[in-house]
Amino acid sequence: MARVIRCIADNVVSPLGTDSRSNYYNVRAGRSGLARYESMGNISTPFVLSRIDRDIIDGLCAELGVQGNFTFFEKILLCSSVQAVRSSGIDASSDRVLFIISTTKGNVSLLGKPQEGVEQERVLLARAAREVMRFFGNPGKPIVVCNACISGVCAQIEAMRALRSGRYDYAVVIGADEQSPFIISGFLSFKAISDEHCRPFDKDRKGLNLGECAATVVLEASDNKKCGWELVCGAIRNDANHISGPSRTGEGSYLALMEVLKQCNRDKLAFVNVHGTATAYNDEMESIALYRAGLIDVPVTGLKGYYGHTMGAAGIMESILSMYAIRDNTVLATRGFAEQGTTWPVSVSNGLRECRGSEFIKLLSGFGGSNAALLYRYSE
Amino acid sequence: MERRGLDFIALNQGNAQLTGLYRSQIGDWPKFFKMDTLSKAGFVASELLLKKVGERRLEGEEYTHSRAIVLFGSTASLCADRNYQETIQDRDNYYPSPALFVYTLPNIVTGEIAIRNHWRGETSFYVLETPDAAQMAFHLACAFDDPETESILAGWVDSRNNDDYQVFMTLIDREDAADTEWLAGQLDSIINYLNK
Amino acid sequence: MEELILKLKQEIIEVLNLEDIKPEDIDNDAPLFGEGLGLDSIDALELIVLMEKNYGIKLQDPAKGKEIFKSINVMADYIQKNRTR
Repeated sequence: MARVIRCIADNVVSPLGTDSRSNYYNVRAGRSGLARYESMGNISTPFVLSRIDRDIIDGLCAELGVQGNFTFFEKILLCSSVQAVRSSGIDASSDRVLFIISTTKGNVSLLGKPQEGVEQERVLLARAAREVMRFFGNPGKPIVVCNACISGVCAQIEAMRALRSGRYDYAVVIGADEQSPFIISGFLSFKAISDEHCRPFDKDRKGLNLGECAATVVLEASDNKKCGWELVCGAIRNDANHISGPSRTGEGSYLALMEVLKQCNRDKLAFVNVHGTATAYNDEMESIALYRAGLIDVPVTGLKGYYGHTMGAAGIMESILSMYAIRDNTVLATRGFAEQGTTWPVSVSNGLRECRGSEFIKLLSGFGGSNAALLYRYSE
Repeated sequence: MERRGLDFIALNQGNAQLTGLYRSQIGDWPKFFKMDTLSKAGFVASELLLKKVGERRLEGEEYTHSRAIVLFGSTASLCADRNYQETIQDRDNYYPSPALFVYTLPNIVTGEIAIRNHWRGETSFYVLETPDAAQMAFHLACAFDDPETESILAGWVDSRNNDDYQVFMTLIDREDAADTEWLAGQLDSIINYLNK
Repeated sequence: MEELILKLKQEIIEVLNLEDIKPEDIDNDAPLFGEGLGLDSIDALELIVLMEKNYGIKLQDPAKGKEIFKSINVMADYIQKNRTR
């Protein structure tokens, strides 16, 4: 019999809190980490960003015993994973524990601004991952999922597969990104960033906001236990259309959705947590994919209005908040949405809604034509 | 009966010139010239491999999602990162380039190959410390967990700077990956060949 | 104007890596996007950078770019009228 993969611990570190619970209740209350910045470094164009307070992270590091010469990126990876690993009770120094890190740009800010006491080689993603694993005394070889904005979902899929193989018993899946001038200037050059709070799926959406976050799930493989949150399946599909523009027909997202729907109990599907970046093309593409997959009436919710686009963390943090929402019988509000702005009228709302389902789909898409979906199921 | 070894293509700056190979062996994909070195290396190696195994190219409205692309590397987009950083480093010469920025994501090379070949299957890029055959074989075997995936274009691609690259590409099917030890042995000998 | 048009064509060929295209291959009135040069959305964004870097013209709205990048003639005309360097 195939092994069952369950999520046994989680953590979110963001401007809205340093644990999952406080993040969930702040989002439920409508609070957002987004704020406007007039400039940063050499950037002189205004933009809106959700940024983590550096002092809070330094305080948390001291509290958690995270000491040493770490970059901000490594600190948030550790702040999140240390809390999740401790609450899971697992021995992370075992070779039966797999670490998988999800990030898009890792320590890239070292290129513009080297840090004293930190080797420049840590711009290499696996080197940064090594630092995190060394902290836990884990003897494994580092692996970093670097699939642009879908990395967080891909990392959970890869962990699920590795656990199913029988080689590992637990996986610590950590996602994070630091928002440095490198990433912000790049998205500005793409004219993709809004200088207002983003408005996912709205007719007046003007673009995305970026955000900082670190999130962790600890997954366990077992042969029989079914209770709690099960990571049922996931799929990654490519549009094969363009390296930066999403497919006009939502091809990759549609294929990924169709794959996870094979194992979904449609009557128990509470909602789809979408990517919903609030760019013109992304939200339109997602509405088409959802329509084609027969999900036009399923509640849809997007979290970018609270966190911005948190890149490497997005797939993990948005999965965790979806778990908390279902346990609370709630479809979270899509902050920033007011009026339908996509060809297909997906079921999106800017208010809290009640839900009774026990399954959700997390959907993401990103540069490189990449798309990914995964399915979580809760059982008593 | 001895099992046949994997077909592969292995290139590095010491034995091949990417633009030369593009002009002499490919020639019908002008987007090649817009790519960064990582994508150029991955693209050329994939083209030569598909030619070597004689695979028919899907055209027009033909697409498949049973072919995945799973690539590994250690430097990821570092070379593109440095090129882009140059466009934002100086306040007086601050002109961030979108065409350079897009390549600061290493999975773009998987997208380039997917677009060229009309493959809508899984595309993944994993960053490792070194080209470790056993580690790659394990994660390639994992990729067949997706029931739709029948074969994988797999490989290693690295580029430290614009004139430096290392790439190998091979095609594996379910049977190849089921024997993970055999696959690791095959990858190991390809890596040794590449490093020669 | 002739001089500006030639210079502009050379700049476009260089920044967009149009390796096998020569200035005389680009028709002054032909559309830059769509058929012909095979340019895409990233090329359009890169042309916005070119306008700012080489001619001091800031285009905030990519939609505005679409009008200006209609053809070499339209682009050169716009540059002539709005350049600050």
